[in-house]
Amino acid sequence: MLILGMICLLTAVLGGLARLAINVPNFAQYQAGAHGALMIAGFFGTVISLERAVALHRFWPYLAPLCAGLGGVVLLAPFPVVVSPILFCLSGVLFLVASWLVYRQMPAIFTFTLFLGALSLLLGNIVWLLKAEIRIAMPFWMSFLVLTIAGERLELTRLLPPKPVGRRIFIGLLGFIVLAACLILFAVPHATQLLAASWLMLALWLLRYDIARRTVRQTGLTRFVAVCLLLGYGWLAVGGFLGLVGAFENGHPWRDSALHAIFLGFVFSMVIGHAAIIFPAVMRVKIPYHPFFYLPLAALQLSLLVRVVGNLCDFWVLRQAGGLLNGLSLALFVLTILASVIRGAASRRVTA
Amino acid sequence: MNLDAKPLLTPELIRNKLRSVVDPEVGVNIVDLGLVYQVNVTEGAVKVLLTMTSPACPLSDLVIADAESVLRAAVDEAMQVSIELVWSPPWDPSMMSDKARENLGW
Repeated sequence: MLILGMICLLTAVLGGLARLAINVPNFAQYQAGAHGALMIAGFFGTVISLERAVALHRFWPYLAPLCAGLGGVVLLAPFPVVVSPILFCLSGVLFLVASWLVYRQMPAIFTFTLFLGALSLLLGNIVWLLKAEIRIAMPFWMSFLVLTIAGERLELTRLLPPKPVGRRIFIGLLGFIVLAACLILFAVPHATQLLAASWLMLALWLLRYDIARRTVRQTGLTRFVAVCLLLGYGWLAVGGFLGLVGAFENGHPWRDSALHAIFLGFVFSMVIGHAAIIFPAVMRVKIPYHPFFYLPLAALQLSLLVRVVGNLCDFWVLRQAGGLLNGLSLALFVLTILASVIRGAASRRVTA
Repeated sequence: MNLDAKPLLTPELIRNKLRSVVDPEVGVNIVDLGLVYQVNVTEGAVKVLLTMTSPACPLSDLVIADAESVLRAAVDEAMQVSIELVWSPPWDPSMMSDKARENLGW
């Protein structure tokens, strides 16, 4: 399943590069229009529903990542166009039911937030199936990832002394996000601006209340994860600010920066931080921490900065170079993980 | 006298061994986090009941596997080691040790 997800990721990255007028193999060139669907419904739909399936210890939730991965891969084969979004929707339904089970098992605001994240993915996938309109599907897909991460972070704040004000602010924000998401179907521009405002507030909330501010003072992997998180919150604020001025909208000159501040800056920083924790849980391999982990993280941050500056200053070559380096940073990240898996296996043999 | 004999197994000793299993996200071990609910030591078996802070957490299998390998190394080969994941009562921050709470700013 993870291999299907990786195929989605690779095709999505190459499709994204094609959009920046960079030469890529033909199979990916054809998928330039499906860059967002492959990345979110395909890759993230696979890995996040896989993560939830592992947590639930049952068979059927694994069908969600399977359908999401297949939904991405069938785009590369000569299937009718409708097969892919149908598989994404099927995956979304299974993932929603799995998330509901998690909520039932522990009814709490954080599990409800995860459920809302899953609902957003399904809504995005349904819009993609029925209308194939990225401007409507995208805000739902974005909400899926932001809410999923926010729910997981909220869960960890329970380890800190309770802060009733912080909790009330989070509930208020959640209401705000739901309102904005409902508006997406009626008035996209205003809805995305509302959504962006809530991302900006959420970023400030996370910077204020997340355990990362405390765990960043630790060492090793714990500190690395916290650094990834804090950088990610900074990007969420940048994306939220740009979205607030309308940059989530199709055709806005800063759209590239706004979307990639969220998806690359916020979401992928989170992925880089947690890969060494989640990957071993899903794949049953060891990934020992190494300071080298900071290299793909730094590469992603700097290349994204180049891209955003290139975009905001309307300097195409810089934006294109930043985009290419974004892709290479992700490749470096995948290589780092693979090398760490090999290193982990070798150290296990030595100790055995 | 058998000089190689392992120290007498007590629930406290088992808990101490389990302190080497750390939640990497928080940097605190599972015992101080209050995830180890119960440790039973009988003549031929060690049984541990543990929980997770969230049912959405995919790390449970990994934590169980790590805890199991720590315990296997600590007890005689003939001993049966079993670890069970339970969700009742649900984990609560009051279950953390004073040391963990102090580390986290309580």
